[in-house]
Amino acid sequence: MLWLRLVEGLGKVTIIVSAIVTENLGKTYRSSVWKSTVRSLDGLSLTVGENEVFGFLGRNGAGKTTTIKILCGLIRPTDGMARIHGEPVRKRAARQSIGYLPENPYFYEYLTPRETLDFYGRLHGLSRNERAAEWEKLSDLLDLRDIASQRVRGFSKGMRQRLGFAVALVGNPAVLILDEPMSGLDPLGRRAIRELILKMRDEKKTIFFSSHVLGDVEQVCDRVGILVKGKLMSQGRIAELLTEKIRLVEVIASGIDDGVVQELRAASEAYRASEAGHHFTVTDLASANASIKEIHAAGGTLVDFVPVKESLEDFFVRIQEGHS
Amino acid sequence: MRVLAVAQNTFREAVRDKVLYVLLFFAASTVLGSKALGWISIGQDIKIVKDISLAAVSIFGVLIAIFVGTNLIYKEIDKRTIYTIICRPMARYEFILGKYLGMAFLLGVVTVVMTAVTAVYVLSLGGTLDLTFFLAVVLIYWELLLITALAVLLSSLTSPILGALIVFSTFIVGHATGILIDLPEHFDGTVAEKALALVYYVLPNLSNFNIRAEAANGVPVAPAYVLWAITYGTVYTAILLVLASLAFEDKDV
Repeated sequence: MLWLRLVEGLGKVTIIVSAIVTENLGKTYRSSVWKSTVRSLDGLSLTVGENEVFGFLGRNGAGKTTTIKILCGLIRPTDGMARIHGEPVRKRAARQSIGYLPENPYFYEYLTPRETLDFYGRLHGLSRNERAAEWEKLSDLLDLRDIASQRVRGFSKGMRQRLGFAVALVGNPAVLILDEPMSGLDPLGRRAIRELILKMRDEKKTIFFSSHVLGDVEQVCDRVGILVKGKLMSQGRIAELLTEKIRLVEVIASGIDDGVVQELRAASEAYRASEAGHHFTVTDLASANASIKEIHAAGGTLVDFVPVKESLEDFFVRIQEGHS
Repeated sequence: MRVLAVAQNTFREAVRDKVLYVLLFFAASTVLGSKALGWISIGQDIKIVKDISLAAVSIFGVLIAIFVGTNLIYKEIDKRTIYTIICRPMARYEFILGKYLGMAFLLGVVTVVMTAVTAVYVLSLGGTLDLTFFLAVVLIYWELLLITALAVLLSSLTSPILGALIVFSTFIVGHATGILIDLPEHFDGTVAEKALALVYYVLPNLSNFNIRAEAANGVPVAPAYVLWAITYGTVYTAILLVLASLAFEDKDV
């Protein structure tokens, strides 16, 4: 899809081509002639702009990997179309600009990281000098130097993921397509990948990544799309998708006697006591203000006041429940 | 460039695989052990050594072609190593061609090593080697090229076990295609006769590549015949590779 925009002042038309566009993309799997078909993806239309980090969310089996495989030219869609920078995904030109990290990346076990990157550099059409430069850059970025001459066979999950990320970056692609890049990693590994994604965003790359870990997505994505049973149920900026309405307010107070606690507790949705004080959870700001007045009137101290808005997780659950 | 990268890597994978050495060990043992049969046939030992050694080059070459070849594409899909490869800016036929060429190079090296072992052994026994012996090796290699192309085609379509069975059957039947048309009289005009004739024309006639008896006996073979056999093998192989590329082009991996 091309968007035409008139650039004022220059008086000329600039054509802005989105990084990734899919229109009515669908995929039906048929395992054999006799077996029934499975509709894995249905009418998926989405657009990912240049230099955008797009989080593709969905439960296991929602169709995330199918979409990604179509974008990377591994499988053909049954219907609809997908383009990368305006080029149909099955064309070589489309694949020139993508870097792909599959879920649990697999590489030749008998190669070392250095040989692996060299191999992919050759597939990308890089010259010997370019490949050497690529190794210098990527081995630094992904900390591969210590394991440069070890065979992939003995690698841990984290090492494989680092190598996978390096392979995806070979040839400096403008679009990164990452399938569950953080799954199975320990907290440090997740953090490293998250920082890499942010770094790649700073380098003006477009990043499309799938995940079912909402916390990771919330921290790095500009926009998200939520896929439920092969259909896109929602897409947009996180802030726009989540209702701004305050769902709950937690009021924490100390220095109040039991009588006041009982009174406030009766007016609250939930209550618990902690070292910090008494936690009263109320449903709206008006009730919260009333509680605070009462705390002050009783000579107590307001320790904290926390309005709780909808989180991406709440939204995700809401979408899933709405569907079922 | 990309084809070469895939080919080199395929070769490297095979070289780092221990199975190859096991097969080479058995092949060398057969060549060296062939003297045992020479003793049985008095005065004929050089001839027997040549005959058995050439048969060993052919059979162990075919075994490597079948075991490695039928796994070639299947393993890439099964182990998912293919994901990060065909998402690169390369055509799918380049991948097929690269895998095939890597395998062809491997078989070339295997054939050269086994021939060298045979040649040294024959010379050490006081025998001589003539042109026909080397032409026989060239044709054995061309047969391996054809068998490998069939293995690659099947590897992109089916499982290695089924693929290996089909390639092995083709190898056996391909050496005896004559039986498909030299039928008893009562087959005349029957559907079976036509069906078998069709099979005869579709299957590769592998006996075209067999001049081992001539090589063992030192009977010269016309260069035109060798050239014809090479052309036949090349055309057949090219057709198989085109089919493999077409089968792989739209495959979901």
